[in-house]
Amino acid sequence: MKLIIGGYAQGKLNYAVTKYNVAEDHVFESTLPTNEEAEKLEGKIIVSSIHKWIRKRIKEGGRPEEEISSFVKKNPDCIIICDEIGNGIVPMDPFERVYRERTGRIQVKLAADAEEVERVVCGIAQKIK
Amino acid sequence: MITLVYGGSACGKSQYAEDTICRLSEGKSKYYIATMQVGDDEENIERVEKHREMRKEKGFTTIERQVDVKKALDEMADSKNALLECVSNLVANEMFFGGEIIGKEDTVRKVKDGLSKLAEGTENLVIVTNNVFESDSDYDEITLSYMDALGEINTYLTTLADEVYEVVVGIPLRIK
Repeated sequence: MKLIIGGYAQGKLNYAVTKYNVAEDHVFESTLPTNEEAEKLEGKIIVSSIHKWIRKRIKEGGRPEEEISSFVKKNPDCIIICDEIGNGIVPMDPFERVYRERTGRIQVKLAADAEEVERVVCGIAQKIK
Repeated sequence: MITLVYGGSACGKSQYAEDTICRLSEGKSKYYIATMQVGDDEENIERVEKHREMRKEKGFTTIERQVDVKKALDEMADSKNALLECVSNLVANEMFFGGEIIGKEDTVRKVKDGLSKLAEGTENLVIVTNNVFESDSDYDEITLSYMDALGEINTYLTTLADEVYEVVVGIPLRIK
């Protein structure tokens, strides 16, 4: 698994699609593909804006941590893209704080498990692991 | 040796800071200077207690200093190794202590004084600070003056520090 992180609108998806030559129907935006969806596809899969999916799963009372781990285990060739969302003032809203905290922890875990981590700034990727 | 550890929320900076002071102090005893005000929120109290227990196992003694951190030196008898966490709470405490708002200039002066004296009095000091600067800046005047103060202090701390790391998704990136 490869992890690509960076701020909003930094060109992460475009960078990943170009670099890894991923077809459009292999890109999942703000959602984690189901097992059936993933099994049908050959080659690399991109899961983009995974932070949006994490937010949705927390709202639904799901367990995004475990769901992502199991997805990565089944799809070790995938590329995961996530916005960095923790670099602002602590939000007043309790849900926003939980979302930030859990997304941050998930990113740290993904980075630890990843074979490669890249941080994209203004479309330029920096390999940080 | 002064090490500054910078990063956003839940980026793994605490873990990295703990590992760093454990390595620098070579297994000797060390202090954890906690600047957070726990308050009376039960969930918070429980979390703080859990973290304190975890640190105890790693050989940390906790010193609570919400303001005027140089006074922590008075409580450091066994060792001159310390980890201070974190500057963002310290700045908030100095600025808003006792319900009265202290201006940015005075806050910056007090925090700089406290941290520089703490640095002089220690052998190894690891300072944790926050990145709160990379989202919106459309905030009220008070929040902005807090952000200005923290930004100025962080910049000062990088000049004081021998090494500066930005922690991103658990990965320490050396920036000085």
